[in-house]
Amino acid sequence: MFFNIIHKRIKIFFIFVIIMFIIIFLKVIYLQVIKYNKLKNGADDLWSRELPIEGDRGLIYDRNLDPLATNLTTTSLVLIPNQIKDKELVSSKLADILNVSKEDMDKHVYKKTSIERVHPEGRKLGFDVSNKISDLKLDGVYLVKEAKRYYPYNNNLSQVLGFVGIDNQGLSGLELNYDEYLKGKSGSIKYFSDAKGNKLDISEIYNEPSNGMNLMLTINNELQKSVERELDNAVLKYNPEHALAIAMDPNTGEILAMSSRPNFDPNNYKKYDTETLNRNLPIWMSYEPGSTFKIITLSASLEEKTIDLYKDTFYDSGHIQVENAKIKCWKTGGHHAETFLNVVENSCNPGFVVMGQKLGKERLFNYINKFGFGIKTGIDLSGEASGIMFNIDRVGPVELATTSFGQGVSVTPIQQITAVSAAINGGYLYKPYIVKALLEPETNTQIKTYDKKLVRRVIKEETSKEVRTALESVVTNGTGRNAFIDGYRVGGKTGTAQKVNNGIYMTGNYIVSFIGFMPSDNPEIIVYVAIDNPKGVVQYGGTVAAPIARNILYDSISILNIKKSKKAAEKKYQFNEKKYIEVPNFVGKNISELGKINNGLLIEYTGTGKRVIYQSIKSKERVLEGSKIRVLLGD
Amino acid sequence: MKKIDYKLLIAVVILTLFGLLMIYSSSSVWAEYKFHDSFRYLKLQSIFFIISLIIMYIVIKIDYTYYLKKANIILIICFLLLLLVLIPGLGVVRNGSRSWFKLGFIAMQPSEFMKLSLIIFTSKYLSNNLKEIKSIIKGVIPILFITILAFLLIMLEPDMGTGLIILVTTIGLLFVSGVELSFFVKIMILGLMGLSGLIIIAPYRLNRILSFINPFNDPLGTGFQAIQSMYAIGPGGLFGTGLFKSIQKQFYLPEPQTDFIFSIISEEFGILGSIIVLGLFAYIIYRIIKTALKCNDLFSKFLCFGIIFQLSIQIILNLGVVTTLFPVTGVTLPFLSYGGSSLLITYISIGIILNISKNNVN
Repeated sequence: MFFNIIHKRIKIFFIFVIIMFIIIFLKVIYLQVIKYNKLKNGADDLWSRELPIEGDRGLIYDRNLDPLATNLTTTSLVLIPNQIKDKELVSSKLADILNVSKEDMDKHVYKKTSIERVHPEGRKLGFDVSNKISDLKLDGVYLVKEAKRYYPYNNNLSQVLGFVGIDNQGLSGLELNYDEYLKGKSGSIKYFSDAKGNKLDISEIYNEPSNGMNLMLTINNELQKSVERELDNAVLKYNPEHALAIAMDPNTGEILAMSSRPNFDPNNYKKYDTETLNRNLPIWMSYEPGSTFKIITLSASLEEKTIDLYKDTFYDSGHIQVENAKIKCWKTGGHHAETFLNVVENSCNPGFVVMGQKLGKERLFNYINKFGFGIKTGIDLSGEASGIMFNIDRVGPVELATTSFGQGVSVTPIQQITAVSAAINGGYLYKPYIVKALLEPETNTQIKTYDKKLVRRVIKEETSKEVRTALESVVTNGTGRNAFIDGYRVGGKTGTAQKVNNGIYMTGNYIVSFIGFMPSDNPEIIVYVAIDNPKGVVQYGGTVAAPIARNILYDSISILNIKKSKKAAEKKYQFNEKKYIEVPNFVGKNISELGKINNGLLIEYTGTGKRVIYQSIKSKERVLEGSKIRVLLGD
Repeated sequence: MKKIDYKLLIAVVILTLFGLLMIYSSSSVWAEYKFHDSFRYLKLQSIFFIISLIIMYIVIKIDYTYYLKKANIILIICFLLLLLVLIPGLGVVRNGSRSWFKLGFIAMQPSEFMKLSLIIFTSKYLSNNLKEIKSIIKGVIPILFITILAFLLIMLEPDMGTGLIILVTTIGLLFVSGVELSFFVKIMILGLMGLSGLIIIAPYRLNRILSFINPFNDPLGTGFQAIQSMYAIGPGGLFGTGLFKSIQKQFYLPEPQTDFIFSIISEEFGILGSIIVLGLFAYIIYRIIKTALKCNDLFSKFLCFGIIFQLSIQIILNLGVVTTLFPVTGVTLPFLSYGGSSLLITYISIGIILNISKNNVN
């Protein structure tokens, strides 16, 4: 039949249709099964809008978990303009509550955007304001949690901690340096909307934000408070241009306290000028160290055995001639005949010039480099300076002589305390550091700890011991006697450096400093204090800086639980100084006996009776001569 | 016994009712937004459905030989309408094509009528000239010339989707009538050249093809519809989001009740939607193919085949586009997509087939 070919071709077409249907069916299954995840994610992105929720910024603690930087919970206003039904009403109500003009609020409410953050008027709202807003129950108006950084101790440790901006981003100090650890990861509330931005009736998805890591510092906040108090007092008393102090554990390089003046309150950082905000003086400032630098010359000389502290002698006529320069001692007329121990005690410049000459420039500068001068210490704070050293090729006899007693070079406070730590701790130069550990935010378990880091060994243990002994006698017998603490072994060195302005030494304008440590036989703490241009006082390190360092060291006794030394040195008293005396035991004694026992105390009697039953200062305590003691009489 | 193919009728009505449900589901959000009446598209399509049923009832009564007699007149009228629609003022522009007459609240597309009338004419031509069909020049060229004339008029609107369907339908009928296969190879080469020509005239068509290869290259431009369609089908998963629960119809997919209604069906019903739609289509095609094979005279055989060939091509093109097998062409899905003229013409076609089925049962 002639229908045959027609029927055949009709059937071919039908088979073609069925094959095409199968292909279409398979493609649908392919899209719904194999490509499901990819398409679902893509579609979710298309359908969903996200309200951001910030993770909490990590806290900053001192070494005993005392919080130094914390967060306050606040809320921030977020608008979804497409969901706002009555824009006029919403705008005027919000303008009222936030106390801004309606025109300004209109800009946010009428903005053509999916999500509008009301910045900055609606940021970090307190409880009252956010309550007022949430009470209105307006569509399209959301309050999301936002933390506000809070520094409970205000100015305390401010330059080290730094501060954060409106978005909780670290802007200076540790907040900036450790920003990537401290900052949390944002989460969100994801809701679904149609293509015109209206919310769909599909349940929201909550992506939990993750909090930033907490930071544990090497700082001891009790000691820090003591340092802050001492600097405040110094500012009141001397009105200096700058004042700074560092306390460190000499055996590890851990910074225990660090502060400077002027400082600021990071809660209100906008009120301060940028220099105050950004300059962390203990690591930023560099200046002529003066006599504290002599510790380096001393250490080098002892290590190289170019002098013997006790046997070698030197005659100080008041000046020493080096080529064309006449270098004077600070004491007019000089110290006359001295051992080198006396040279150290007296901080005698000509004596140190001789020490430098004996070493020669190669050896002296080798030690200066080994002690870490001229390059940054690498402390984990930003803004560190490296100081300035003579280029060794250009060091002549005069430069060698002045360097020996700390003139003509420029160093930072952190370099000095780090170098002197090495000189007294057995010879180990450690890299100073301030962050002790990163902590897991929920449990404060240590995720990462930072340990002491040895840079190099500089001098031998015996040398270090000799240095300690020499520096202890500076405090007991020499220029540092204002740092003496009875019953404890304190070592130290004063420094008085003339300031340079445009290459000329300024008159009557000094940076006075003191570096001290205790106990001097086995140092647990080292303190460096520098006061820039103190007013109304004789500008000597021994008179201004040493008492401040002494107070800090004294506080550290109870804070660090430093034991009293058995073999504490007796101070060599000057004629006008009051002595320390040991309190005798009065308890159980008759009144008549007291006069015989008393060795220089002012006794106040209370109660009636003939025998002493209590004394206000325990026996064997050491107090200044003439101190008051109360005794209770009974029968 | 002269009985119509009730199985076909029932399948067609079920599919249309399912279509009405899905037109409501996919269009209600847009309808509420544009007209504050979420039922608007459902109401209009329901009216068209009732009109279509009435007209189909009439068509079933008309003996198919009537079209054999009137084929020339019908074709001439359709050509006139295609000319008239091009005149601004008479023809109305919609979606960039001047292809509509507006009669009160009803809009009509003359190209839809041309689709059917050309099948009728070609069927008559082939049944009268089956001997000459072996000769390309005497048999094939004349009918091809008429088809291309219609195609060109439709391309002036322009409406490439409908134009191509008309062209392909005639070629399908030529294929069935027994034209040698080498002819179709030549046609294919010619077709590719023609396609290149069309692309040179209007480069946006090249973009469509490029965006088909990777729609994500231009997600907001040419790839937009393809991506939105995939975002409906894929995330629905095998089980779908459930009736009325599509997200893509919430303004993401423009006019989801027309070309992309299958995307929403897949989104809401998952694999079940594909089975319902493809299954009913396959059954309808099977019933009509069966009728075509049973026909005793050439005219009705060609007419039956021409109609089902055209429907099948439209179905495959639409589903192919929606599932991103083919580039976007703008072809609606018979029985399911919203559109009055299309539904009416489809029901007239089914009416003709039902009449043939009644007359040709052995």
